[in-house]
Amino acid sequence: MILSTLEQILTHISFSMVSAVIILHLITLFVNEIVGLYNSLEKGMIVTFFSITGLLVTRWVYWKHLPLSDLYESLIFLSWSLYLIYMIPLFFKKEKNSLSTITAPSAIFTQGFATSGLLTEMHQSGILVPALQSQWLMMHVSMMVLGYAALLFGSLLSVTLLIILFQKDIIRVFDKRNLLLNESFFFSEVQYINEKGNIVQNVSPSSVRNYYRSQLIEQLDHWSYRVISLGFIFLTIGILSGAVWANEAWGSYWNWDPKETWAFITWTIFAIYLHIRTNKNFRGANSAIVAFIGFLIIWICYFGVNLLGIGLHSYGSFTLTLN
Amino acid sequence: MFFRVCCKINVPQDKSNKPISQKIVISEGAPSLKENEDGSGEVPPPPPKKPTSSVNRLLKRIPQRVLGTFIDQGEAPDYYFQKYPEDHPVLGFFTWKWVLTLGFDHMFSSPIFLGTLGLLAASLMACTYTTQIPLVKVARRWNFLKSSEAICKQEFSEKLPRASVQDLGVVLMGAGYEVFLKGPYMYAFKGLAGRFAPIGVHLAMILIMAGATLSATGSFRGSVDVPQGLNFVVGDVLSPFGVLSKPTEAFNTEVHVNRFSMEYYESGEVSQFYTDLSLFDLNGKEVLRKTISVNNPLRYGGITIYQTDWGLSALQILKDDEGPFNLAMAPLKLNGDKRLYGTFLPVGNDDSQNVKGISMLARDLQSIVLYDQDGKFVGVRRPNSKLPIDIDGIKIEILDAIGSTGLELKTDPGVPVVYAGFGALMLTTCISYLSHAQIWALQDGTTVVVGGKTNRAKGEFPDEMNRLLDRVPELVEKTLNNPSESMSA
Repeated sequence: MILSTLEQILTHISFSMVSAVIILHLITLFVNEIVGLYNSLEKGMIVTFFSITGLLVTRWVYWKHLPLSDLYESLIFLSWSLYLIYMIPLFFKKEKNSLSTITAPSAIFTQGFATSGLLTEMHQSGILVPALQSQWLMMHVSMMVLGYAALLFGSLLSVTLLIILFQKDIIRVFDKRNLLLNESFFFSEVQYINEKGNIVQNVSPSSVRNYYRSQLIEQLDHWSYRVISLGFIFLTIGILSGAVWANEAWGSYWNWDPKETWAFITWTIFAIYLHIRTNKNFRGANSAIVAFIGFLIIWICYFGVNLLGIGLHSYGSFTLTLN
Repeated sequence: MFFRVCCKINVPQDKSNKPISQKIVISEGAPSLKENEDGSGEVPPPPPKKPTSSVNRLLKRIPQRVLGTFIDQGEAPDYYFQKYPEDHPVLGFFTWKWVLTLGFDHMFSSPIFLGTLGLLAASLMACTYTTQIPLVKVARRWNFLKSSEAICKQEFSEKLPRASVQDLGVVLMGAGYEVFLKGPYMYAFKGLAGRFAPIGVHLAMILIMAGATLSATGSFRGSVDVPQGLNFVVGDVLSPFGVLSKPTEAFNTEVHVNRFSMEYYESGEVSQFYTDLSLFDLNGKEVLRKTISVNNPLRYGGITIYQTDWGLSALQILKDDEGPFNLAMAPLKLNGDKRLYGTFLPVGNDDSQNVKGISMLARDLQSIVLYDQDGKFVGVRRPNSKLPIDIDGIKIEILDAIGSTGLELKTDPGVPVVYAGFGALMLTTCISYLSHAQIWALQDGTTVVVGGKTNRAKGEFPDEMNRLLDRVPELVEKTLNNPSESMSA
């Protein structure tokens, strides 16, 4: 009883912290940067991280199995993994990390989605069906979700890279129109857009700006590559341990079950990404496009298959609420 | 919840005719080592086509697999006639003819799919042979760079005034580098395994494909429903799955189901199914006894027995304290696929036209619902409760509900090979994350020229180098004047 109350309290704390952090993010987005606000953002994220950790541990103790048995729990775990990715650079480097601008919102959105009303029906299921009672549950699901988190984050970096690259074209279009119309008062606006476009805010001449821009692109490119490689390892281990588990529980290590097929497709897409990276000419935009496709595929694999409610992997899917 | 469970454990059985075969998880798993040769000049440029062609092949298979998710697999042709009729083609053209001609009803064993898999395996081997192996040969051949220009051309380079190359070597060794020193020249590397691992990844996948082929050609499968207390012979259940399937000694083993039971949570949902099995050899000697459950199969002589399903086979009752009688139960398919079993105890004279009697229904082994001759609800009894129920003057006591266990049997000679491939793939994928870093240095007077490059961790490498170079001690005046002395020391 105490534990379930604690769980409630932690859920509420983390959810209200998340709401606060979102509001702060919006403020920093619209109003210019305030240092104090940024610090409190960080603190908010840390508090949320610990309350989610507490939430997961409480569920673990209360239900006596790892909280990964249904969609709600795996979503919470996904957002926990994203928080983890957000926290790691904080521990290693004290400096402000530009990557956190991507991790923070994605962690928040995942958690917001998990806690929102859509899935409330499922919060209390809490028992394990026979097929899930195995040591492999921990290994397989945690590896898969960690892999999803890392791959999602890595491909989000690539998406950012694409946006930055693409934005240049937009700006060029703006510039052309500007020249065409020859209206000087538009200029300040274009200048403003340029300024917003470059995360490194700099009003200095364009060459310096281009330097920062290309450096940022290079960084994004590199980090998305590293994070995706890491996620790929988790995904590989997750799929393989799942195959071993399937051989224990279902009698065959590969059934071409929809979820398995889509996990394989995800794996293939990111294998293609890693191969494209080996060719120097295809780095940057080309590999980023592949990563973007991978980003969509992960969501199909993670949600789409459960939405259809087909196959052997339909634990804790949306159809559960219908029964 | 309860019913979902049943469906789930059911499925593998239904699919038992489906090929596990082409599981063959394939495609090169980790980045191959294409880049990175430029430093050591004499590297032959890797054939650029190979990786791209295998990537293309990977791409080609995706649409098929996507289709496989949306078109129901392994149904009878009639199913497709109905679902994709000719007069209302899906998307304007897609009819059952397409499905059947192109083998979309059994996507994962259709010749197209198997063909692309074979091509993939071939290109995988070709890529390993023509691209990866030459690259590794080059990577192993290291040399000292003997001019400061060559060193400065590296991705990272730095000049350290007042330093000695030996000190740098010691610092690098402390950071886990292999260091080679010869006179004023130094070469150091770390993470060479990261260069070999991608080959291992490819080989592991070929191993998995080989194991999967073995599974596809040499396995036996079968499933059986056995009421508690009955026997079956393993060889009768198993049917060959491929051309190479050969029965073994163990096929003569007789299996006896001692007991089938279910455990429940407090909320009434099933927590686990248990079947207590005894195995007897030809001489009738018990060779093994084990209680299996979902996730805990029995293995004997290459045969694996899985708990996959369950059913109700009979009710044991006392009628007016006579008996016990066994009433066979039959599954009733009333509301969709929900699990419901029923049996019937005729009452009164047997020769009348429409026999009436007592109906007993059960959804599980826990409770039996009884209805009287007019179909009116009478009551619920638990087996073993010793509580008789009176229906129109007939006293009925339910002694026991006898379950039947659904077992799935298989032999799969490919599993050890596939598992070896899995282990190798996990290991090599992890090692592939290592970045191969190479550092050259040269003592130029009192200055040390350092240059280096790495193939994966390009972002972290300059940071790490700067951190390491900060640790190289600055030489004091005295040794400065005599660098050759410090070198010989």
